[in-house]
Amino acid sequence: MALSPAFLSELERIVGSSGVVATPEGRMVYEADMHTFYKGAPDFVALPETTREVAEIVRLCRREHVAIVPRGSGTGLIGGAMAPVGGVMISMTRMNNILDLDFPNRCATVQPGLINLWLSQATREHGYYFAPDPSSQMVSSIGGNASTNAGGPHCLKYGITVNHVLGLELVTGAGEILRVGGKAQDPPGYDLTGALVGAEGTLGLLTAITVRLLHVPAAVKTLLASFSAIEDASEAVSAIVAAGIVPAALEMIDETFVKAINEGVGAGYPKGAGAVLLIELDGPTAEIEAQAGRIVQICRDHAALEIRVARDEAERALLWKGRKEAAGAVGRMSSTWILQDAVVPRSRLPEIMREVVAIGARHRLVIANVFHAGDGNLHPMILYDDRVPGELDRAHQANDELLRACLAMGGSVTGEHGVGLDKAWSMPLQFGDADLGFMARFRRVLDPDGIMNPGKLLPSHPACGEGFRPAASKLPAGTWV
Amino acid sequence: MSARAPADALAAIVGREHVVAAPSGAAVDGVEPRWRVSPGSVDEVSRILKLAASEHLSVAPRGSGSAVDLGMPPAPIDIAMDLCRLDGILEYVPADMVATVQAGVRLDVLGRELGKHGQMLALDPYGGLSRTVGGVLASGASGPRRFRYGSGRDLLLGVRFVQADGTVTWGGSRVVKSVTGYDVPKLLVGSLGTLGVIVEATLRLHPVPTATGSWLFAFGSGEAAGSFVAAVLASTLEPERLVWLNGAALARAGHPGETAIAVSIGSVVEAVATQGAALAALASSSGGRASVLADGFWASLGSVLAGRIVLKLSSELGRLAFWAGELEQACARRSLVPSMVGEAGNGVLRAAVEANAPPADLAREIVSPLRERLAAEGGSLVVERAPVELKRAVDVWGSVPEPALAVMKRLKTEFDPRGTLNPGRFVGGL
Repeated sequence: MALSPAFLSELERIVGSSGVVATPEGRMVYEADMHTFYKGAPDFVALPETTREVAEIVRLCRREHVAIVPRGSGTGLIGGAMAPVGGVMISMTRMNNILDLDFPNRCATVQPGLINLWLSQATREHGYYFAPDPSSQMVSSIGGNASTNAGGPHCLKYGITVNHVLGLELVTGAGEILRVGGKAQDPPGYDLTGALVGAEGTLGLLTAITVRLLHVPAAVKTLLASFSAIEDASEAVSAIVAAGIVPAALEMIDETFVKAINEGVGAGYPKGAGAVLLIELDGPTAEIEAQAGRIVQICRDHAALEIRVARDEAERALLWKGRKEAAGAVGRMSSTWILQDAVVPRSRLPEIMREVVAIGARHRLVIANVFHAGDGNLHPMILYDDRVPGELDRAHQANDELLRACLAMGGSVTGEHGVGLDKAWSMPLQFGDADLGFMARFRRVLDPDGIMNPGKLLPSHPACGEGFRPAASKLPAGTWV
Repeated sequence: MSARAPADALAAIVGREHVVAAPSGAAVDGVEPRWRVSPGSVDEVSRILKLAASEHLSVAPRGSGSAVDLGMPPAPIDIAMDLCRLDGILEYVPADMVATVQAGVRLDVLGRELGKHGQMLALDPYGGLSRTVGGVLASGASGPRRFRYGSGRDLLLGVRFVQADGTVTWGGSRVVKSVTGYDVPKLLVGSLGTLGVIVEATLRLHPVPTATGSWLFAFGSGEAAGSFVAAVLASTLEPERLVWLNGAALARAGHPGETAIAVSIGSVVEAVATQGAALAALASSSGGRASVLADGFWASLGSVLAGRIVLKLSSELGRLAFWAGELEQACARRSLVPSMVGEAGNGVLRAAVEANAPPADLAREIVSPLRERLAAEGGSLVVERAPVELKRAVDVWGSVPEPALAVMKRLKTEFDPRGTLNPGRFVGGL
């Protein structure tokens, strides 16, 4: 349903004509996020600059029964920031200011469009940083991070975004400007702050976020251990966790990725390694020295081929560069893949890795693995060639089997990317009718008319046609996982 | 249904020995429930709630009863639902550092089991080892260790609860990292059982540090203590606990003095030693004297906060000392001496007051004016425990600003339209 010229002029009245994108070529820029095979351009894109403008747009859309899709930087991996049924996309890129830096209270209040890394850059010289570090952090926005409850390598020790959000301003689907939480903790009443993080724009639009700032740790130690077999590396991960050590990050890179990264990024990972563990410790110097010694011993006990310790920041950056640009490196091997984000209990890692190999063999597909091993969050990338007849179907089949295998072990559909349009169908695999019903009713409390990001997060939304499934799956090179 | 009929129906669900009519010791703010019912399974909880829904009976869930003073005096309660029989540790895989337990499991029982594997649940509500996991989560209770490990909202990964209509519901996950769907556990933590009855919790665990050191740093003035706290917060030290105590609290704890900061460090042996030395250096530059604390000190904080009235203040970190001073002064005008324990790294302070003054005076002279000024800077004051007379004189929660309150009311109406669960005890009369 195309929106009327009258609607457009009302939108322009709110944000000005320079605040609306209405041309076909302009709208096409917004037709997808990083999950580019879900395409759906909005009828209009609005670029508000104030909370009041956001609230006015929501009230207008509510009155006219028009769908709203919030969008940050568009780096999401779940088809969350595209418009399957058209409507108005609200882009937060013009609301990108730091509103308040408060070091005595260890927090900052920012607008949603602020780029994640900018906050750490603005605070680091004062000795602070913002902990959530999705691989996209140089381009993704804090509003997007909070909406998807983004993770990152360092959330093993520090938790995902929700653990760092103290307060929010949200324009609800009903058009209210809701302010919850803030610098003082434990506000009386329900923890709306916690419940609104990770809502993927289905309850409203975040217009300001108060986040916790952490101290830059006293010391950081980064180690890289290579193994001939991924099973050994997986067992080493379990042993590190069992030893009572919680590293800041504990990342696994498999053989396929090691090869791709070495060729693509030139990170110099050990050649011929069947798996590499990237381990980072941070904290008081005496603590991480003792723990690093223990970890080296554990890796040796698990037949590590080689253990490297970064001697300076440059070496550390190089070890991380490979990990952070892993997906892009694999893009050189295959331009088409399906990306998983499922989680298993960490004790089941060796088992699920055997299963991944078996599934790949069964469907004659390469499955490359780079993931957050410390918390059991997998990122298998199922590579396929869409020019080979039937290969996409096999990839879908492998994806489905892999997801079910993770859930059968007591896992979860998504550890940090979110549900969006991509994984809404799989929600019933993890939740029962009553559980999904509770979520649907919670959604209705904040968005009574169902205008907020329809089709996302929950399955079978009326706005999302059953069987809505795109023909081809493709993530662009340079995707961050 | 006759007056007797619900009792028979309840007995049919849980067995006659688990239904007590006109029970003693189950009153909430003087409101006596008609029955105390102790379900032995999730299914029984569900059937009790279905019965309650069809018979228009109200239900007040409870664990150990420690937090029964929290909240406003309830509307009439028909059923006190005692969850202590749901005391199973359902699944514990040490390598996952996750445990799934039933709501009635006591913290000390769970702690012993986890301790065998060098792990712990880092929730330490004051005087709370006999408290149940479900009760601690539902009442949003926490203690000093939240500074390092977070509170219930950070530690609850998944939750099974029974809605007011008896629907057994699951939210969250069984793994340490998941963003699948809405974060339903957040809605249940601190909701005082008003949205559903928590029956099972999947919890994030932590390793017990290899070594722990605790120290008390005594200061001659509040300002000196405050500058030490600020210095610790601005440093790269990573304490587990950072607790401020006033003179009255120190006297109760058996460490007489003006004011002091108690700190614990948990790490490897080497780091406990170096961080302890660094703390002592910071303290001495603010004129503080260090002494080593026995580990039992932390458990004694519960008795330091024993009192007929307990107030909980929440403010910005840097303002906590100021508000503590304001509270002390307001109390002094009534010749009252509050015993105060502040979680200096979280901006949360509790004060125990033994007050014999008329409740209306306390409400007018202490609670209301402090609360108003705190609210103006985004803080809050909750009366966590008080005689019912004081609760009649002042809302224990304070007012929740709009439109947040409207959203909370819509939530309650959506999930408990008849007001079956804990009616009247929560914020805004919910």
